[in-house]
Amino acid sequence: MNTLIVEDEKSLSHEIEIFLTREGFNCDVAFTGKSASEKIYVNNYDFILLDIGLPDMNGLDILREAKEANSESSFIILTARGSVEDKVAGLGLGADDYLAKPFSLLELQARMQAVLRRKHGLQKNTIKVHDFEIDIQNRTITQSGKNVPLTKKEFDILNYLILHKNRVLTRMQLTEHIWGDILEDDYESNYIDVHIKNLRKKLSAFTNVDWIETVRGIGYRVNV
Amino acid sequence: MKLQLKFVLYNAISKAVIILAIGAFLPIITQRVVYNHIDNRLLARSDKILKVIRLGGLNEIMLDEDCSFGNYNIFKEEFVSIEPLHQMVNDIGTIKIENTERDFEGEILKHRVLSEAFLFDNQLYALEIGEGLIAVEQINNTLWYFTLWSLIAVIGISIFLDLGFSRFLMRPFYSIINRKLRTINHPTLFEPSQVKTNTYEFSYLNQSINEMMQKVKDAFLVEKEFINSASHELLTPVTVLQTRFENLIAEQNLPDDVADKIVESQKTLMRLSKTVKALLLISKIENAQYLKKESANIRELSQDVLMEISERLISKGIVVEEEWNSEYIFHNCNKSLLHTLILNIVNNAIKYNKQNGKIMLHGSFNENGKYVLKISDTGMGIEKENLKNIFGRFKRFHADDGASYGLGLPIVKTIADFHGILVEAESVKGEGSTFSIVFP
Repeated sequence: MNTLIVEDEKSLSHEIEIFLTREGFNCDVAFTGKSASEKIYVNNYDFILLDIGLPDMNGLDILREAKEANSESSFIILTARGSVEDKVAGLGLGADDYLAKPFSLLELQARMQAVLRRKHGLQKNTIKVHDFEIDIQNRTITQSGKNVPLTKKEFDILNYLILHKNRVLTRMQLTEHIWGDILEDDYESNYIDVHIKNLRKKLSAFTNVDWIETVRGIGYRVNV
Repeated sequence: MKLQLKFVLYNAISKAVIILAIGAFLPIITQRVVYNHIDNRLLARSDKILKVIRLGGLNEIMLDEDCSFGNYNIFKEEFVSIEPLHQMVNDIGTIKIENTERDFEGEILKHRVLSEAFLFDNQLYALEIGEGLIAVEQINNTLWYFTLWSLIAVIGISIFLDLGFSRFLMRPFYSIINRKLRTINHPTLFEPSQVKTNTYEFSYLNQSINEMMQKVKDAFLVEKEFINSASHELLTPVTVLQTRFENLIAEQNLPDDVADKIVESQKTLMRLSKTVKALLLISKIENAQYLKKESANIRELSQDVLMEISERLISKGIVVEEEWNSEYIFHNCNKSLLHTLILNIVNNAIKYNKQNGKIMLHGSFNENGKYVLKISDTGMGIEKENLKNIFGRFKRFHADDGASYGLGLPIVKTIADFHGILVEAESVKGEGSTFSIVFP
């Protein structure tokens, strides 16, 4: 996957690059609108992560330009300006998703996966993890044909852990994923532990689930 | 009272006063004029009679045997009488004119009578010339009534005309109010326009409003730009740190103590990030960057919130009791903001509740016809002196157990204000709190 990171904040651009490279993406970076335009014109990217608050031009103009040139790239807008109009305008111009800063890198990756699934069908809708089959489209999990009754949030947590398999997810990352921005007081709560406990109980009724690992002091990891 | 009505009332009252004055003084004036005419006529007649007598003696006028003379016309409208006087009077030659009522063969008639004593042939005579007043008074009355009624009719017509005219006159005023001030939900949507009027005051008002609204609009736009920039400047470094911590924690073979520190740093950063986002949300709502174009069923919205938060309820063993006495659709709202409002209150009701506690949701119309959603909990309650501060921004205080109320309630307050909703909190320490959401 060729990805262009258009972000004027160099340290942020760098962190995204480290993360995506580790996840197997080929990354290219552009710190200004001008160089982004040139790179998009010359290269063929699968993904363009676009900060719309660039110093030399509005990121939305790059998006408009690229769409007019019939670019096949998928655009995800990254912005900290957070005005509602920007979001509407971005999606209106044909961006595939919109991520407000500050965002989690895991969330970014999840969105990129979702875009891929939606646009190209490159990813399978069912994932096999140990003895379980997870249907992302229909949000169900089955074990040899039998449905495991999970609540919406339990499914979201399991799905997120599996999406980022073999990586420790902190309670905060999980909290942010299932609750989003709405509540401002969740960073100390133990709701995630309760969800994981229930999740383990429900899954272990079918088969051994020691592949959901508790990483002391940090969080949880799904080992595949 | 409407200015229009005041104008009309003022006109009507001032006209009525004038008419009353005319009505009161007209009879007096006309009477005086009429009497003046009659008096002149009576004087002329008495002169004539006396002249005739002086020239030709009393015989010129036919006298009865007792040397008196009386002449009445057939309706006793006018009379002349001369009677000899047998006593001496001291006012010979003085003319007296007065109104009298006399009995003429059983009929009492009103006359204006001139009386005068005169000496002729050493004999004193009393001369009386009378003119009937009945006809005159009738004419007077008729005239008076006619004048009065026609004036009243004039007032009636003029009130009617005044109403119409003042309505016409005030039309630009209402057009300014309705078009400029009422239908515009927000200053940023304001477009200066001219109102069709040739009244100086209204075009001046219109112009002043245009200028004022333009200033307000500019201020809003400046603030919006500031919020966007502040948002960018504050959230970008937070994002840098957040992504860096995420990359760090994913490193292999991280020593436990380092991992712990990273997680702690992430928590601190998260707190900063949530605070910044809460403040930006409040600013954006106050800057009216959200639309209010949706309609929300409050019962359904509350039940969505309960559904979303159900796992928290279950994990704390909290029972929810709902009582919906009536349905209520809140129009022109922002559903997702209202969702946040209810969610924040319900979340507090869970957070500060005791284990296996209760939350009550009650929706009904109050005695003023306003819809009220009450959310009560069986939690630890809020101290009375803190109660007035809970909605205040930066009035952050800590409860006994160290928990803080954060910015959840200031967000509630801001969303409520944005929608014209009233939020009130009551609490009994140790027993629980009730938040009442009063819809406009």
